[in-house]
Amino acid sequence: MHDSFVISQSDKRPIYLQIMEQIKRRISVGDWSEGQPIPSIRQLAVDLQVSVITVKRAYLELEREGVIVTQQGKGSRVAPNPGLGMRLQEQELRKHLEQAIRLSALLGLQPEELEGRLREACDDAAAKERE
Amino acid sequence: MMDLAIKLNGVKKKYRFFTLDNIQLRVPQGQIMGLIGPNGAGKSTTIRILMGLVHQDQGEVQVLGHRMPAEQVAAKWDIGFASDDMRLYDSMTLEWHMRFIRFVYPQWDSAYAQLLLKRFGLREEQKIKGLSHGQRVKATLLLVLARRPRLLVLDEPTTGLDPVARHEILRELTAVMSDEGRSILFSSHNTQDIEQISDQITFIDRGRIIDSMDKETYLDRWRRLRLEVPAGVELPALPGIINIRQNGRLAIATANVFVPDLANAYENSGARVQSIENMTLEEIFVANVEHSREEVGV
Amino acid sequence: MKVSMVRTLILRDLDRHRHYIALSIVGGVVALALIQVGGEAPTILGATWFFISLIVLGSMLPISNVINERKKQTLPFLMSLPLSVIQYTAAKMLSTVGMFFVPWLTLVVAGVSFIVGRRDIPNGIIPVMMVAATFTFLGFCVIAAAALISESEGWTVAATVISNSSYGFIWYLLMRNAAIRNDLKSAVAVWSTPIMTALTVEIAMIAVILAVTFYVQTRKRDFV
Repeated sequence: MHDSFVISQSDKRPIYLQIMEQIKRRISVGDWSEGQPIPSIRQLAVDLQVSVITVKRAYLELEREGVIVTQQGKGSRVAPNPGLGMRLQEQELRKHLEQAIRLSALLGLQPEELEGRLREACDDAAAKERE
Repeated sequence: MMDLAIKLNGVKKKYRFFTLDNIQLRVPQGQIMGLIGPNGAGKSTTIRILMGLVHQDQGEVQVLGHRMPAEQVAAKWDIGFASDDMRLYDSMTLEWHMRFIRFVYPQWDSAYAQLLLKRFGLREEQKIKGLSHGQRVKATLLLVLARRPRLLVLDEPTTGLDPVARHEILRELTAVMSDEGRSILFSSHNTQDIEQISDQITFIDRGRIIDSMDKETYLDRWRRLRLEVPAGVELPALPGIINIRQNGRLAIATANVFVPDLANAYENSGARVQSIENMTLEEIFVANVEHSREEVGV
Repeated sequence: MKVSMVRTLILRDLDRHRHYIALSIVGGVVALALIQVGGEAPTILGATWFFISLIVLGSMLPISNVINERKKQTLPFLMSLPLSVIQYTAAKMLSTVGMFFVPWLTLVVAGVSFIVGRRDIPNGIIPVMMVAATFTFLGFCVIAAAALISESEGWTVAATVISNSSYGFIWYLLMRNAAIRNDLKSAVAVWSTPIMTALTVEIAMIAVILAVTFYVQTRKRDFV
């Protein structure tokens, strides 16, 4: 079920983020469906050979985002509306973009120039990742 | 009230050239504590004190509810100990040692022992002196793991091992955690192992504890900020920044208590924050030790 | 029911040293056989060899059973087992002394029986033999004490040298006494006052050394 989870040492992001991303991916491609039980925190920690506290954090964040639901004594399962969590993040992104548009208006930039700034920032970020 | 597998309070031990001072350590049951520090920091001494092998000069030591060293016999029924300076009997076989341990500890799990022999690639009829370093370490750990003790105390369990052997051992150590009544304390200067499997981290240097807290919170507090500093701009001293290295127009600030406001503070001073990066435990280790030594003035 | 750790440790020590013990007994018996063969050279060789067997065993045992446990770093392994410093010390002293005592007793009994059995050897030799044999036991205790307390190979070797060099001196002291010299030739064993004094002093010293060693060991705060 979760055997193909892989924690990469060379991936600079914290392990809990990697776990979160892989769980979300499973859900988004449909491998894990709504309401389906997912491995307990301890079980996943053992299988991935990582600390319990890291998996706990991943699960906590996922629950905050509405992707999974944990019930005391009953374990965790995929939330009824897991897409909701990702929609929340979409909303957040939208807010940031609107703020960027406001700032660029203050600077007197055209939409194409704003696009150029965004591309520049993406390239810079990618270069940092590779370091 | 969470049960503590290990509790050290104000522990002091003085040697001629080295002093262990005011050691506070708490390992909650069901967790893995990683003890990290440079060579000679006092990791082994601390471990020997909590095993009752060395008597502290001052302070309270409690392991699995037993006072140490007074109640060490009772405690050791439930503790599995292995240290990298520990040796088995050269001229005897692994099988002899397994029989010895099985004879003493009724909770020896023969089936698991056989499984470990296979997983570790060991032959029980081999004499200890014929084993390579890695095989010897694995043999010692097998003797400890097959008893399924409530607490594992391991002093440098992966030191000097090749990546495959390391992986085999980490696999068995994390497997222990599927039982939430069991706990592990292990010391290492291999930061990767500590970072991967510890729930709690304790930093020790020159006989003092520098930091002790849960791993995720700890890793989250540290950041490296890359700054671009235009001419004429003076970088402000900010709380939570323990180190700034500036070379021309570029600077790197190391934060050990990071909050997003720090980035804003730099921006307000005229510098540009190029990036904010997480740090690996190894980088934190070096920065932390250097910083703590500066503070003490050594 | 939990097993007796002291007993387990003693048995393990015995297990690891069974060759030593066997060899020393064989050595002593071969020595007696040489004396049986007769002739001046074999007799002297045999008599010397008889005591050498005990002296060698007494020198090797503390090194192998006590010092090597520290040198070869197997002590942390043992102390990780559910036992206290007192239990370890008791087990170690019992096994070390026991592994010497058994061959010692065997050879002493064999030696006495041999002398009694041979009409041509005066029984007057027996008391002196007992003093000499007990002295090997005392010498062994000094070495064992040095090994246990000092934890150092150097000090143990020093104690071994001192102990082994004193046999000649002790023999000289004994033979200076005219009464003892004369009683050697007697057909009956004579337990004279000087002999009894010597034996009493030896046994008392053995008891004191062992007691002091045990006490010092159990007071150590940094055992490993």
